[in-house]
Amino acid sequence: MEEASKVSRYLYTAIVLFLIWLFLTASLDPQELAIGAVMSIVVAAFSYELFTTRGLGNLHPRRVAYAIAYIPYFLWAMIMANLDVAYRVLHPKRPINPGIVECKTVLETGAGKLALANSITLTPGTITLDIDGDKYFIHWIDVKDSSVEGASQNITRPFEKFLKVIFG
Amino acid sequence: MVSLLKRSLAIISILVIGYWLAQGLAGVPFGEDKMLVGHYYLQHVKEQTGAVNAVTAVVVNYRGLDTLGEVTVLFIASTGVAALLWRKKRERTAKVGGSPVLTVGTKFLVPFVMLFGAYIFIHGHLTPGGGFPGGATIATAFLLLYMAFTIYEIPHKAFEKVEGLAGMGYVLVGLIGLAIGGYFLFDWIWQDWQWGVDNIGRLFSGGFIPIIYTIIGIKVGTELSGIVDNMLKEEVRE
Repeated sequence: MEEASKVSRYLYTAIVLFLIWLFLTASLDPQELAIGAVMSIVVAAFSYELFTTRGLGNLHPRRVAYAIAYIPYFLWAMIMANLDVAYRVLHPKRPINPGIVECKTVLETGAGKLALANSITLTPGTITLDIDGDKYFIHWIDVKDSSVEGASQNITRPFEKFLKVIFG
Repeated sequence: MVSLLKRSLAIISILVIGYWLAQGLAGVPFGEDKMLVGHYYLQHVKEQTGAVNAVTAVVVNYRGLDTLGEVTVLFIASTGVAALLWRKKRERTAKVGGSPVLTVGTKFLVPFVMLFGAYIFIHGHLTPGGGFPGGATIATAFLLLYMAFTIYEIPHKAFEKVEGLAGMGYVLVGLIGLAIGGYFLFDWIWQDWQWGVDNIGRLFSGGFIPIIYTIIGIKVGTELSGIVDNMLKEEVRE
């Protein structure tokens, strides 16, 4: 993937850090804002090379909109998965069929793969065991389809719709 | 006979010791509040130091010399680690790199961890925390980098210089106090300049506490990163 210019990457890191500072201080006091701006600029100088390769491209409105939409979508998926696992636990016959399946992802960037792995782990019933290139090894509480294509359809596709746009 | 003599001697000495202890305790007025120094600090902390966090005010302002000693202790500990683990040639020998989750997560988290460390030491005079936990947090960012990447090393030369400058900075702040106010680590920013008097409870207050805590944060961060570096590297034979 092509890298954005240094300025763009630096600015993006500083902006994200400043937003984090706002969350940390939870205050709009001009003194806090001034020191926050200084600290964001200083810390960004040390860390922008690690933090981002795409720079300000991450702030494309489409990406931001999908990222915001992903939060309720993911929370809903998490609630449904919680209820599903609770049902399996409480059911007297315990209808589980655990196993490890392999999935293939369409995501290409490291950040996207990390977000997908964490999304899968955070929804109960599925845990990402390992990532190898574009292959995910996932422990699934109820293996409905053990083929690579079928498992991907069930586990990774729903998240990838969003993550592909956000992270690529 | 002997045992009887021994026993009576023991009883007599116990009685004597007991009498001394009772005498000593008789002077303590039980049931009364004896926290005189603590009360003094709590009542005067705002007008004397400008900090709302009394603990920080005691650590950095009233007992600033102790804290300079603590920083020195940490410096000696780090030097000791370096001396004990010294070898002619040492390199990182880890063969297995971190998984994608660890490496990507590290890249993502390092700036946040650093910023959070800075947040902790900058707000030392307002919130719990200060230079020591802030510096330790910053060192965690470097520990993450060491764990995720097998070839990563901190920039040693720069870190050593920054650490030395931070240490000298602390003493310099103290010496300026000596020149202005007459004693070492006199809080010239608060007592003399009256800087931040209208701002108690906001960021720009607390006299030299934020400055000293920033210095301590930088020093502790670089020092602990150096310790991590020393502990992770292993001897290489040519």
